[in-house]
Amino acid sequence: MPTILITGANRGIGLECARQFAADGWTVLGCCRKPDAATELAAIEGVTVHALDVTDIASVDRLAKTISEPIDVLLNNAGQSLRPALEFGSMDYGRWSDLFAVNTLAPFKMIEAFHDHLCRSDRKVVANVSSIMGSIEDTGSGHVPYRSTKAALNMVTKALSGDLSSDNIIVFSIHPGWVRTDMGGPKAAVSPEDSAAGIKKAIEAADANASGRFFNWTGETLPW
Amino acid sequence: MTSMLITGANRGLGLDFVRRLAPEGWHIHACCRNPGKATDLQALADTHDVTIHALDVADFAQIDALKKTLGDEPIDVLFNNAGIMETIQRTLSLDHTNQMFDTLDEDEWMAVMRVNTMAPMRMCEVFVDNVAASARKQMLMMSSIVGSIGSNQTGRWYHYATSKTALNMVMRSLAADLKDRGITVMSLHPGWTQTDMGGPTAALTIDESVGGMVEVVKNLTPADSGRFIAWNGEDVPW
Repeated sequence: MPTILITGANRGIGLECARQFAADGWTVLGCCRKPDAATELAAIEGVTVHALDVTDIASVDRLAKTISEPIDVLLNNAGQSLRPALEFGSMDYGRWSDLFAVNTLAPFKMIEAFHDHLCRSDRKVVANVSSIMGSIEDTGSGHVPYRSTKAALNMVTKALSGDLSSDNIIVFSIHPGWVRTDMGGPKAAVSPEDSAAGIKKAIEAADANASGRFFNWTGETLPW
Repeated sequence: MTSMLITGANRGLGLDFVRRLAPEGWHIHACCRNPGKATDLQALADTHDVTIHALDVADFAQIDALKKTLGDEPIDVLFNNAGIMETIQRTLSLDHTNQMFDTLDEDEWMAVMRVNTMAPMRMCEVFVDNVAASARKQMLMMSSIVGSIGSNQTGRWYHYATSKTALNMVMRSLAADLKDRGITVMSLHPGWTQTDMGGPTAALTIDESVGGMVEVVKNLTPADSGRFIAWNGEDVPW
């Protein structure tokens, strides 16, 4: 069965993805910062829990050395938003930099570190969990730092799709919907189950034509 | 009298904007890191209404200091022109092995983000009241087609590309945030130009690039807010 590595797998969308891929028989490598506290993740049959802080390059490199098996799918799910949001006139540039590290640079680093694992696999898919808030076309007022990190992540997706096409690696961005998670809040429109099911479907359907694109969790293409 | 505050004004595109607009009577605050070395700019300041300010846009305390110097003076056009490809200076080349896949350099990437993405935001935050108090009320970002996600086919230049993508997002969000204050915010793509960054084999002369961009800037209306426009007037895809 195929293997998927999921970052930020201890809660929210990542946890639900771990559940659904494991239920389907996939080997799931569930990564999170504090494995000891990830009791829900650890309880899922078919999931191996790994310690990983995606912003710590040494931690990423260490995990890449620990895991020897091919990885069919890398799901760059770990991400952060800022609450309260930083708005015009009260920017905190240190926190904005930290957000770039988590939402933009870390997914890039993960792909570098697991490039060889992906090349050795059958599926060779990278899914970057982005956000419609990273759509420049669709953008509106507010939340500039978060928006900018996801727009930059979409650029990483597009550029890597070209760079890695010679390895037949498929890279795409996906908007998970506004989901009822710790980040999305209780009033959000989409359940984690539906969002994860949409992400799983996109991953399973991904072919060369999907590479370099930005999908909604419901399947349609979103504008940059 | 139209006034402009422009960063990175000592050479290349920024210098040529000053060279063209100063003789037309524009009142220009021209910023660069080392005024002592900016001999071309100094020559313009000797004969025109150009004031030179020392400003490293990556040092936000210097932006605050410039605000103290300028006070509440209205600024018609705030032009965030300063930008870098990387922290060391060399000509753009397809042979660069940095900023490519498998060479992640976090510090370098963040340094580029700070100058190209965050500093323009800081400039806009600090000088928004000056712009709002002016007649034209314009904020310009020197972006690049390298930051166009839709146009990217090849990878490479990850730091620079993502920083300009993020800058376009900053521009779009500010266009929405500042609409109520009547401020027009837009991004420019200068074309691949024969500057220190673009190199001598680039497709456009500085004259062609800035000549085109000056026309774009002069013809801007509030309806253009949120657009990403090339030197030749064409829209660039996100």
